[in-house]
Amino acid sequence: MDISAVAFANSLVLGVSIASIFLVAAIGLTIIYGTAGVINMAHGEFIMLGAYTVYALQTNVGLPYFLCIPFAFVVVALIGFAIERLLIQYLYARPLDTLLATWGVSLVLTQGTRLIFGSDPKYIQIPSFMQSNIEFGGLSIGIFRILVIFSALIMVAAVWFIFYRTEFGIKVRAVTQNREMAASFGINSKQVYSLTFALGAGLAGVAGALFGVLNIVLPTMGVSYVVQAFLIVVTGGGALAGSAIAAVATGELQSIFAWFFNDTFARFLIFILIVVFLRFRPQGLISAGGSRR
Amino acid sequence: MERNPYHNKTLQWLAYIAVFAFLGLVPLMTDDDFLLNQLATYGVYGLLAVSISLCWGSGGILNLGQGIAFGLGAYGMAMTMQMQSQTEGTIPPFMMNNGLDTLPAIWEPFWSTGTGIFLALLIPTLFYLVFGGLMFAARVSGPFFAIMTLAILSALATIFVDLQPYTNGVNGISPPMPLTIGEVTVDPYSSTAYWLVFVLLLVCTFGAKLLTQSRFGLVVRALKDDPERVRFLGYNVAIYETCVYAISGLMAAVAGCCFAILTQYVSPAQFEVSFSISVVIWAAIGGRASLLWAMLGAFSVQGAQSYAGDQFLSTWILILGFSFILVVRFLPGGFAGLVEMVLDRLTRSTGGREPGLEISGAKGAAE
Repeated sequence: MDISAVAFANSLVLGVSIASIFLVAAIGLTIIYGTAGVINMAHGEFIMLGAYTVYALQTNVGLPYFLCIPFAFVVVALIGFAIERLLIQYLYARPLDTLLATWGVSLVLTQGTRLIFGSDPKYIQIPSFMQSNIEFGGLSIGIFRILVIFSALIMVAAVWFIFYRTEFGIKVRAVTQNREMAASFGINSKQVYSLTFALGAGLAGVAGALFGVLNIVLPTMGVSYVVQAFLIVVTGGGALAGSAIAAVATGELQSIFAWFFNDTFARFLIFILIVVFLRFRPQGLISAGGSRR
Repeated sequence: MERNPYHNKTLQWLAYIAVFAFLGLVPLMTDDDFLLNQLATYGVYGLLAVSISLCWGSGGILNLGQGIAFGLGAYGMAMTMQMQSQTEGTIPPFMMNNGLDTLPAIWEPFWSTGTGIFLALLIPTLFYLVFGGLMFAARVSGPFFAIMTLAILSALATIFVDLQPYTNGVNGISPPMPLTIGEVTVDPYSSTAYWLVFVLLLVCTFGAKLLTQSRFGLVVRALKDDPERVRFLGYNVAIYETCVYAISGLMAAVAGCCFAILTQYVSPAQFEVSFSISVVIWAAIGGRASLLWAMLGAFSVQGAQSYAGDQFLSTWILILGFSFILVVRFLPGGFAGLVEMVLDRLTRSTGGREPGLEISGAKGAAE
C-alpha cells in the first residue's frame, strides 16, 4: 500500500514533467495560432531546427549548452520570420491553405536538414551534473526535467510579460481582437503578424534545444511533437492560459492513466477524451480571438 | 450552356470515359505482371485521391487522416487473407511467437471470407460515422477537424503497434496466400488483380461523380462555400457533412482492401501521418475540386516518384515539398484549375460572351 502510494506520487511528479514538455512544445504554436489564426504544421520542424542549431553550435563552435539556447531562439526566429514574409503573409485569408502550405514547408525543412546533417541520430552534450537524478523521500526526478519545468514557467512568464506589459503586446492584442480596427488606429498589422510568427518560431527553437537533450536529434523528430502541441492548443482554445491549463491537465492525466494501464493506452484515452471534450466545448477552454472561428 | 468546355457536363463525362477507357486498355498492351501490379497500386492511390477529392474538394472537409479508413480496411482484408490460409484449430504463426495459444475473439469473424471483407468495409465506415457525427454535430470544422483526424490517426498507429499479439506490432501481417473468392484466386501479380482494382476505381469514381451532380451533392458543395447560409436554409449541415465524410471513408476502406490484396502485406506504416498527407498532396496538385484530376494527380506524383528512383528520392521529396507550396500559394485549384483557366481564356478570345454569365456558369459547374 505504502509502496504503491509512493509510486503514485512519483507518477504525479512525472505528470508535472510531461505537462511541462507539452507546454514548452505548445507555447510557440499558441502564440502563432492565437494571434494570427495560422495553423502552423511546420511547428514540429521549428522544434527540430532548434535542436539542430544547438547541435551544430556545439560540434562546430564548441559553445557550452546553455549559451546555445539563446542562439536556437534567434536562428529559428529568423527562419520563421523569413517563412512568414515569403509565404504565410499571402495566405491569412485561407486558413486551410496555410495548413497545407506549412505542411509543404515542413517537408522541405525536414528533407533539407536530412541533406545537410544526414539522417543518423545526433546527440546534444549537457553538463554532467544535469544528467543525475534528485531523490526525495522515494520520489525521483531528473535534474534536466526540473530544468524543463522551470523553462516552461519562464517561457509562460516571458510571453505573458510581452503580451500584457509592453507596447508590442498591446498592438498584438489589438490586432488579435480586430485587425481592421487596429489598422485604422495606425498599427502596422502586417508587421505585428510577422514579429509574432517569428516569436512563436523562436520559442519552438528553445523547445527544440531542450527536447534535443531528452530525445535523440533526428530530422523527423518534429512530427511527434506537432500533433500533441496542436491538441494542447485546440483544447486550450488558443489563449496562453488555456494552453497552460490544457497542458497540465493532459500531462497529469497521461501520467495517471499510464500508471493504471500503459503509455500507449493512456495516450489513446487522452485523445478520446479530447474528442469528447470538443464535442461539448468546440471553442476550447479559453477562446482567444473571440470573433474568430 | 456554358461556353467553357471545362464546365460542360457532357464533355466532363466524355473525359471520364476516355481516361477509364485508356486505363482499361493497359492490360492488353503489356503482359509484364510486375508492371501490372505496380499500375494497380497506382489505381489504389488514385482511389484514395478520389475519396479525398469527394470530401475535401466537394464538401470542403479537409481530412488529414484518410489513413484511418485505409489502414483499417487494409488490416481487415489482411486478416481475412491470413485466415484463409489457416486450417481449423490453428492460429497465425506470429500469435504463437507472441505467446497466444487460442485465436483472439476479434479474429474469429475473419474465418469467413464474406464476413471478413464485410467487416473490413463496415468498421472504417462506422468509425467515420461516429467520429464525424461527434465532430460535425459540435460544429468542429475546417482546420480543427483536420487536426482531430490527424490526432486520431496517430493514436490508431500507436494502438496497432502496441497490440502486438493481435496485430504483430510494427512487423504487420503478411498473409502467405493471395485472396481467394469462391473459385477465383486474385493473384496480385496478374491481370485479375488489375481488373479488380480497375472495376472498383471505375465504380467509385463514377459513383462519386454522380453523387456530386445529385441534389445531395449540390447541398454538399453549397456548404463548402458557406455552411452558415446552408444552415439558415433549413438543412442539417452536420448530417450532410457526416454522410459525405463516411462515404469517402468507405471508398478509402475499399482502397485499403485492394492494397492488402496487391501487396499481401499490411503494417502500421499505413497509418503513418506522412502517407495520409501525401494523399492530400496528390489531390491538391491534381486539383482537389475535380475527382478525375485528383486521381490523375495521384498517378503522376506517384509515377514520378518511382521514376525518380531511389538515389533521387531525397531530392524528390524536396521537389515535392516545393511544388506543393507553389501549388497552394499560386494555384489553389491544382492542374485542374490551370486547365480550367486556359480553356476559359481560349473560349473568351474566340467567342464574345457577356461577362455576367460567367459567374453563374462557374457556380453551376459540376466539379
